[in-house]
Amino acid sequence: MLDMKNFKARIEEYQRNFDSAFRKVKNGKSLQELRNTYLSRKRGYLTLLFKELKTLKHEEKPEAGMMINNLKIYIEEKLQSLEDKYRVAEKAVKKTDFTLPGIQRYWGAPHPLRLFQEEIENIFLSMGYSIEEGPEIETDYYNFEALNFPPHHPARDDWDTLYLTDDLLLRTHTSPVQIRIMEKRKPPIKIIIPGKVFRRETSDPTHLPMFYQVEGLVVDKGITFAHLKGTLEYFLKALFSEKIKIKFRPSFFPFTEPSAEVDIGCTVCEGKDKECRVCGGSGWKELLGAGMVDPQVFKNVNIDPEIYSGFAFGLGIERAAMFAYHINDMRFFYENDLRFIRQFVLK
Amino acid sequence: MKVSLEWIKEYVEVNLPLSALIDKLNMIGLMVEDWEERDGDVILDIETYANRPDTLGHLGIARELAVGLGLTLKERDWPLTTSPEKTSDLVDIKILDADLCSRYCGIIVRNIKVEPSPEWLRRKIDAMDINSVNNVVDVTNYVLLSTAHPIHAFDLAKIEGKRIVIRKAQKGETLRTLEGKDVPLSPGMLVIADKKRPVALAGIMGGEESAVSETTQDVFIESAWFNPVSVRKTCKETGIQTDASYRFEREADLAFPPRAALMAASLLTQLGGKATEGIIDVYPRPKKSIKIVLRHHRIVELLGMDIDENFVQVTLLNLGFNVDVQQSGTWQVSVPLFRVDVQREADLIEEAARFYGYDKVPSTIPPLSVPELSQDKKKERVNTVRQLLFHNGFDEVINFSFSDPDKETVFLSQQKEITIRNPVSMKASRLRTSLLGGLLENISWNKNRGAEGVHIFEIGNAYFWYDKNVHEELMLSLATTGLIGQLHWQEKSEEINFFHLKGACEFLMNFLKYRPFSFQEEDHDYFEKGYSLALIYKGEKVGYIGVIKDKILDVYSLDEVVCAAEISLAKLFSKQPQSFQYTQVTKFPSVSRDISILTDRSVLYQDIKNEIEGLSIPFLEKYELYDRFSGSTIPEDKVSLSFRFVFRHSQRTLLAKEVDVLQDKIIKKLKSSFNIQLRKRGEIDK
Repeated sequence: MLDMKNFKARIEEYQRNFDSAFRKVKNGKSLQELRNTYLSRKRGYLTLLFKELKTLKHEEKPEAGMMINNLKIYIEEKLQSLEDKYRVAEKAVKKTDFTLPGIQRYWGAPHPLRLFQEEIENIFLSMGYSIEEGPEIETDYYNFEALNFPPHHPARDDWDTLYLTDDLLLRTHTSPVQIRIMEKRKPPIKIIIPGKVFRRETSDPTHLPMFYQVEGLVVDKGITFAHLKGTLEYFLKALFSEKIKIKFRPSFFPFTEPSAEVDIGCTVCEGKDKECRVCGGSGWKELLGAGMVDPQVFKNVNIDPEIYSGFAFGLGIERAAMFAYHINDMRFFYENDLRFIRQFVLK
Repeated sequence: MKVSLEWIKEYVEVNLPLSALIDKLNMIGLMVEDWEERDGDVILDIETYANRPDTLGHLGIARELAVGLGLTLKERDWPLTTSPEKTSDLVDIKILDADLCSRYCGIIVRNIKVEPSPEWLRRKIDAMDINSVNNVVDVTNYVLLSTAHPIHAFDLAKIEGKRIVIRKAQKGETLRTLEGKDVPLSPGMLVIADKKRPVALAGIMGGEESAVSETTQDVFIESAWFNPVSVRKTCKETGIQTDASYRFEREADLAFPPRAALMAASLLTQLGGKATEGIIDVYPRPKKSIKIVLRHHRIVELLGMDIDENFVQVTLLNLGFNVDVQQSGTWQVSVPLFRVDVQREADLIEEAARFYGYDKVPSTIPPLSVPELSQDKKKERVNTVRQLLFHNGFDEVINFSFSDPDKETVFLSQQKEITIRNPVSMKASRLRTSLLGGLLENISWNKNRGAEGVHIFEIGNAYFWYDKNVHEELMLSLATTGLIGQLHWQEKSEEINFFHLKGACEFLMNFLKYRPFSFQEEDHDYFEKGYSLALIYKGEKVGYIGVIKDKILDVYSLDEVVCAAEISLAKLFSKQPQSFQYTQVTKFPSVSRDISILTDRSVLYQDIKNEIEGLSIPFLEKYELYDRFSGSTIPEDKVSLSFRFVFRHSQRTLLAKEVDVLQDKIIKKLKSSFNIQLRKRGEIDK
């Protein structure tokens, strides 16, 4: 039977023994051994001492317990003081080189045109537009006539067309989808229409026989040219930069009246380089066609132009992407060179 | 349209610095695409629009500029030196088709000496990059380039019977061009004929036989109006296009022919000729100008900006419109015949806006409205497909929708391909019936540039005839070859194989919840015999997957194995995916059982799968094939398959006894269907 006096002596002895052993510690291994001797959860001296507590009288237990604890804290602190000196330093010798390359999962890259299209879509989605699509093979009616191109009008020459039959063609713009939507839906209409379009053109750095467009259409009561301007300015600033310069000038499209061409200020040369490859020295780059929906187009879809008005615009995605990334050849988008595509994984 | 600044100054006193002038032109809608200084003059290249034939001459451009700058348009006088002879005594003009020729004017200039043009005229013609021919031809070109109204000069002596008949061509008639070529005329074409034969293709070009030459003494000047559609159709049919036809097919000014004739005659008399008395003007049904009501409030409603009433009125007047104030804020506007583009109120509002300045229109955002939302889930699903494929290591490509018939034939299965009537080149003369051709093209391109592995997909339409209709079908195509991933010190890189691709497809189907789906062995035109599967969902084949035929690889100069798949997203999206239902995560543990079986090699995994799933085993959470083995310890015609079955009850812990019963049920079924043997610790069970 252990009494309190005895117990105290044991504690003091342990501490003395530990102190002398501690002074002899020379390396991490002996440090660990010393730790085990005193603190091992199974056979450490202190662990055993704790087990002996139960042989003390009930009223002595708290004080004794506190003594063991104090000793434990004392030993732990002492051991810890040498920990850095020996253990970490020795561990470093065997340590794996963590600067070796990590394992990167191979992740596929989206095509840059799709990325850019998504950026455009997201801006309009945030403004409450919805996205619509339509067929790529169209009839003469939807591609031309309903959009106020009279048969045999030379305006058609500006939209060089690939024909499949007398009546069927590859759509030259996304505008026919305007007609298809207005035919089946009542205003308010607020949509964008991304999609492939086709022209009878030979490929060169600035022309392709197939490219992507995004068309926009808003129809409601009280829609004005000022709304068109505000919308496109917001869009272009969001897409390029807050600082982009924007210019509207009169133009002609059979399906809008008044019509406008929208130019943006060249961000490469800012109009200072007469030989600029992006803007050709003019300081401006033609980017969008736009205008107020022509009254004849409204009549063709049974919407009363006296009650409703609307605006429409169209943008070539390749052109915009070329401008944004300073890509100087449109054909790069369709070569599908993976070194080109994979650059755009994370912009 | 090329425009000489010097020439413009004949009509309007422009004294602006060039850059300010160009800005002004751009801001009123006359886009200066290019310009150059030449011999003290400035030549501008101005983009003109198909609806503005009036801007196809210097006068029209000058008119716009005068209004834009608030200057006055100068009118020139065209004095004539006349002989006492009456024009109508010397020539007879008859219009037989007034729809196609609404007006025809003529005058004769006698005693012209055909010779090189004087310096001032040459200079003008040269500035426009047109070859100076002789004084008479140059005068006709001068009138055209000045006023946008084409005129023609005939050698009077060559006009038989001194008769001008405007009629449709008769069958078998031809016209000899200035190049000496005989153009066959078809009965719809409008011609200018003399007593015997056509002497000109109306509005397009004159014939060689009646052309002005060095021996010409007397000239008959034609100044007419021809129907735009008729001129255009004839141009298309004959393949002849001229500066004259370009203007007539955009619609010339019906009011202008007498003035153009006068101008030409005046110039020719200045060069020494004498004009006959009076211009013959055959104008059977004079056209009244269009009248449009313009309401001031509509300007505000359409533009979102007020334009001062006075500004509107003055602008329209200066542009040549007649403006009557009906009541305050309402005008009745008569449109001059040269403005063929203006027919509605909106057209007038554009005129006001153009000159007031688009830059003055404020920028506002339309008020919120609640449009009908699109119900189309296609876009969303396509996007999910793309993300899933990126995750599987596939890069996205986009190819042209065209195909090369030489190559595309290897992809023709049952579909009837669509041919483009007027392709840019033969190599792009069809529409693709499969996206795989493009993908193989891309693999070849990238392999030739050093890529070790190419794993790509494209989402887009394939096109074909379906019965008598064209059909566009949204397809997903995948192709994969070579190494996947990069070389790494710890992991070994893998050669892609068929099961990577199949896995990607399974991943896709599972994630999109198009399940249960299945694969079925089936030969297909794109793939090596015996190396392809059909993907089946809800009883329909929605796609194919396999190893591309060597014969096809040859066409694309590829020599490595390419695995590919083509799935019809159109078909897939037309079907309902499995509906999503949340189930609570259970806290009860699962019980796993591993079963190894020995089966004949000829037994397909898909069949085993079908049998297991057909049992509808309760509490079977999932099962996986975790090992497949064949080798020396196993008969040659056999293969060992190891499955792990995982059972779980959502409400309680399953008892071993219960699972034993379920496991036995599976084994029993496999034994009866496929004659399998069980393997335990390497031992084969009888």
